[in-house]
Amino acid sequence: MDNKYLNKMLLEMDKDLASKGMNRRDAMKLAGISSASFMMGGATTAQASEEEIVKTDANGRILIVGGGLAGMSTAARLTLNLTNPDITVIEPEKLSVSYQPGQTLVAAGIWDIDDVKFNRDDFVPDGVKLIEDKVIAFNPQENYVTTAKGQKVEYDYLIMATGLQMDFERIRGLEDAGRAYSAGDNTKLLNALGDSICSIYTAEGAAKTWEIMQKKIADAKSGKKTKFVFTHPNTPIKCGGAPKKIMYLTNARLKEEDARDNAELTFYTNGGAMFGIPEYHDAVLGQFKREGFKWNYRHNLIEVQKENKIAVFDAKWQEKGPWDPIMNEYEVIPKHEKVEVPYDFLHISPAAIAPREVRESDLGSAGGWVPVNKETLQHFQYKNIYAIGDIAQVPMGKTGGSVRKQYKVLVDNLIAQMQGKALPAKYAGYTVCPLITDIGTVMLAEFDWTVKPTPSFPLDPTVERWMFWLMKVYALKPMTMYGMLSGRA
Amino acid sequence: MQVKFQLVTYDEELDKFELDDNVYPLELDDEQSETYELLKHVDLHLYDWFQKSDFFLNWIKEEIYPESIGKKFAICDINETSFRRFYFFKLTSGDVHYEYFKKLFGIFEESEWQDREDVGKEILKDLLVKRQELIIELKEEVVEDEI
Repeated sequence: MDNKYLNKMLLEMDKDLASKGMNRRDAMKLAGISSASFMMGGATTAQASEEEIVKTDANGRILIVGGGLAGMSTAARLTLNLTNPDITVIEPEKLSVSYQPGQTLVAAGIWDIDDVKFNRDDFVPDGVKLIEDKVIAFNPQENYVTTAKGQKVEYDYLIMATGLQMDFERIRGLEDAGRAYSAGDNTKLLNALGDSICSIYTAEGAAKTWEIMQKKIADAKSGKKTKFVFTHPNTPIKCGGAPKKIMYLTNARLKEEDARDNAELTFYTNGGAMFGIPEYHDAVLGQFKREGFKWNYRHNLIEVQKENKIAVFDAKWQEKGPWDPIMNEYEVIPKHEKVEVPYDFLHISPAAIAPREVRESDLGSAGGWVPVNKETLQHFQYKNIYAIGDIAQVPMGKTGGSVRKQYKVLVDNLIAQMQGKALPAKYAGYTVCPLITDIGTVMLAEFDWTVKPTPSFPLDPTVERWMFWLMKVYALKPMTMYGMLSGRA
Repeated sequence: MQVKFQLVTYDEELDKFELDDNVYPLELDDEQSETYELLKHVDLHLYDWFQKSDFFLNWIKEEIYPESIGKKFAICDINETSFRRFYFFKLTSGDVHYEYFKKLFGIFEESEWQDREDVGKEILKDLLVKRQELIIELKEEVVEDEI
């Protein structure tokens, strides 16, 4: 970890603690955690940072398509494990390693956009070859890929880490927005969204969200009744908690300005619950009631009428159907209708989609994602191919917290395969969502495929805590940027 | 002890199951009864046991579907244990079947963010494979009964 950054971060944290009349040591005691584990985001990570890495002389040309957090962390860890690594990363975007979890904080004016921008070239591990290009075709039968500049790159082992795209253009009225990646130039998207619609799902969009939010809060403060609408789509998305985080932060900023009474905050989700884990669902529902939020389940945003500021949702419900004499039950008949909702501020969490070149290749599944064994991350059909992060067809796997577990599994399995051994490591579905519920509080929702909370800390995971806010704001970024991206955390 | 079976016949050309309305009682001996009692709460293990048991296959060939070599069928119900959702599940089936198949096929919680139809289609895709495992074909060879 970069010492200069660490010292600055600790200094800022100390200031924050001092404003609450507490020093760092007391704060750690209060949280019941050691400073080491706090710094590294949980006991498991602290252990990981201390693990002994044994190098092997396994050989093979490894190609990683995608140099974001997943791809670059995997490359870094492979260089730690291999005596003679032969690793190539193909990544066209200069800001590919930018810190996406910070975009919620940018959108609420807590961080500046420069706090999340990171240059890819500063994080290419020593000995790894970077090709600044985009893969446009995959040929898994003959083990090579073709790039946009016409380069043919051969491999023995391929790691798919392309990430995903945000599919704004599927929303009627936003066809000009196109599809966006989180990092990079998203001028086209921002122009299409205009001055009342925003999305934190791109870095630039997060900065624009803060601009729009301030204007709408000023409107509310001036006495205008202002409707804030937040959406959650009908596909798996990056960080399923983010659509709610921006709602909580908007609420916090409204309260700060004494403008909350003039604001109506409503959450429209395609799902039938606030959270897939019952314990967290109950907790979030309690928070929604406490804060006076409104919510509607089974509503998916399908259209925006920008001129009139109307969001159109496809609202779904079920009705009792005819008796099925063979199944001995009444059928369930799905119904739906369009619902028009006026807004002053519309935050869109867009549908996620696999990049076209993956979706249309032999590597992608019918849904576009790369079909891998969810535990070993190995492709079902092509055994020398793995997928990690957002592009992998892994349940609940589209978060940085998931990648933190996945990349170690992938590296262990790939090296075992290179040595002719059985794949030893399994991903168990761990993911984490530091759910910001206010400026100063976070509920640290950790869970896995057991569909139960799996807290790393000996604390009730459904309680909102200031300590986890400090972790979110001060500790997780260095852990990611200097721990994961060096292949160690 | 007596176990009651209901069966479905399988039409390969139409890839369709049809319910045989009859209920067929089968008398189990003590050892078979003991096995039944052990397996009756684990539906697919129970199915597997009957599917691979000579006494069951002989009974079907001799008493239920005589002179029907080549016929394909599957077990629909065994007493209170029902398998009919495997053959007759559709997108409008009840939530209980969705929950059952989500667990069986490892369709995880992202269903919370998906339409019921999407999950239903995934279930139907998985069922194409699972059904083939459940179908029993009556074969020519004489099966030695161990009893």
